[in-house]
Amino acid sequence: MLLPLLLCYGGFAALYLSMDRHHRDLLGSTPSARRRQGLKVGGWLLQVLALGAAVALKGWAMGLVLWSAVLMFSGLFMVLLLPYRPRLVLALAGVSVLLSPIAAFTQL
Amino acid sequence: MKDGFRQSMAWLHTWLGLTFGWLLFAIFLTGTLAYFKDETSHWMQPEMSVRPLDPQASVTGAQAYLQKNAADASRWFISLPDAREPALSVMWQAAAKPGERGKFVEKLLDPQTGEEVQTRASSGGEFFYRFHFQLQMPHPWGRILATLAALVMFIGLITGIITHKKIFKDFFTFRPRKGQRSWLDGHNAVGVLVLPFHLMITYSSLIIFMSLVMPASIIASYGKDTQTFFKEVFPASDTATPTGQPGHLLPLAPFLEQARQHWTDGRVGRLTVNNPADVNSSINVFRDGADKIAHDFGSAVSFNGTTGQLLGVTPEQPLPMAIGGSFYGLHMGHFAGPMWRWVYFIFGLASTALIGTGLVIWLGKRALKHVNGVLPFELRLVQVLNIASMSGLVVAVAVFFWANRLLPLGLAERADWEVKSFFIAWGLGLLHAVLRPGRKAWVEQLGLAALLFAAVPLLNALTTPYHLANSLAQGDWVMAGFDLTCLGSGLFLAWAAWKMQRSGHAVASTQKQRAAPISLKQELN
Repeated sequence: MLLPLLLCYGGFAALYLSMDRHHRDLLGSTPSARRRQGLKVGGWLLQVLALGAAVALKGWAMGLVLWSAVLMFSGLFMVLLLPYRPRLVLALAGVSVLLSPIAAFTQL
Repeated sequence: MKDGFRQSMAWLHTWLGLTFGWLLFAIFLTGTLAYFKDETSHWMQPEMSVRPLDPQASVTGAQAYLQKNAADASRWFISLPDAREPALSVMWQAAAKPGERGKFVEKLLDPQTGEEVQTRASSGGEFFYRFHFQLQMPHPWGRILATLAALVMFIGLITGIITHKKIFKDFFTFRPRKGQRSWLDGHNAVGVLVLPFHLMITYSSLIIFMSLVMPASIIASYGKDTQTFFKEVFPASDTATPTGQPGHLLPLAPFLEQARQHWTDGRVGRLTVNNPADVNSSINVFRDGADKIAHDFGSAVSFNGTTGQLLGVTPEQPLPMAIGGSFYGLHMGHFAGPMWRWVYFIFGLASTALIGTGLVIWLGKRALKHVNGVLPFELRLVQVLNIASMSGLVVAVAVFFWANRLLPLGLAERADWEVKSFFIAWGLGLLHAVLRPGRKAWVEQLGLAALLFAAVPLLNALTTPYHLANSLAQGDWVMAGFDLTCLGSGLFLAWAAWKMQRSGHAVASTQKQRAAPISLKQELN
């Protein structure tokens, strides 16, 4: 449960920052093309990894259900938190990306 | 098509959403509550205490009770207690003349002693579950209307996706405290982010009532004889014909283990016994499907009741049925443990919020033109129905819980009175919305709902010995969780009422500011 959640959340945060408008809102500058591309690829990669982790943990049937639930939950959580505590969203994303290898070691 | 495709879709989204929104809101809210059906029932019948699970002892107790009280019944049904449902439920169908249906009697037993438990009469969580798709209407009209609503919801979701132009560009956008803009952002964000759930729940409901929605394929193959279709697709456990000679039924408990040997895993959910007093009796042992996502349409092992001989095992489900069963299982969430149940509950609330925000937007957009606050009749009608169908319904749910604790235990037709209080409260909500100006009605109803919900733990403590301190000490998390969830809902509703009142002040003050220069200008003129 934890690992897919961390990966999904990190992925959404990267995808959020890969959009010019949001990058400016949060970090005050327009991202370079390379950075934008990197964030986009990284974000999608994390989502795919989350799917992989969910399936590895629970098998295909339950894994797909788990992945959809985690996808919806982390997205909703982030969007509702963003207007109120944007910095916290970023900090949580950092923490979740850092924690995910540890979660991977303990859960997989 | 005169307008563009997108405009047409927006039109459809707007008007279908308005006409079915109120009904859909009620269907989604009660459906969401139905995810905690057993937990609600436990709270509403607190006399049923939680015991450690022991299926063998439960079955033996149930058999002893049934042999004493229903020896000549034509069928017995025994539902074993599980982690969510502490009661051992036995039901029997009285023997009837050919061509008639025998009456059903249901009793709740203590799973340890096999004694009958005296609980307060209550429909519990079953009420929300039934209302969710039968809408308290005579069969089959409620189901037809609910299915129609599901179809409209499905169309609403698809037209919504088409209407929403910048679905990916606005993916992360939610701007609070901006009035109408925020409602639209919220509607879009909840719609897009939880879209897989909305689609799954709506599409699966159409599959559950497949034979109502698209009977053509069944009629084409089976003609008018649709009963044959159901018999072939869902083979009933074989009902042995009684011979008329009295027989002796074997003890049921050992069959639990025997049946389990035919399954790779899983536990027994329920048993049925046909003609328990006859030589030709049969025992069906059904698997509990709660450990798989795909709904199990009854995989059973059947035995002869007098000889113990194995009669048959249900074969594995064919693939189309397993797929249909997956949607069924995903909708119902029977596989869900406590954590998953909460996930379902949260997403269910998200779907409810999607419908609610849609209704608010429809009115808000049109009310903007009437700055003085006086709405023309048709908008006032929508406003009244919005208030009654949303905050009125929430008040009614709270009143339903209060009625459970306050109605005298000996009252005749007590369970019916609980349901009646729900509808009376809802009706009063409508009346109140008609009588009071819009924003005041919102604030008052939300405030009342907040008060009623937040006071549920207190009410429980005053009227029963199962209060929070007690349930927490005993580790009865269902009882404690229900109290705490009500308290949490009360706090949320109080916040909503406060928000609504404050935004009312903001509107009033901007109106005054706007009004002031105009009157100055008039004076100058």
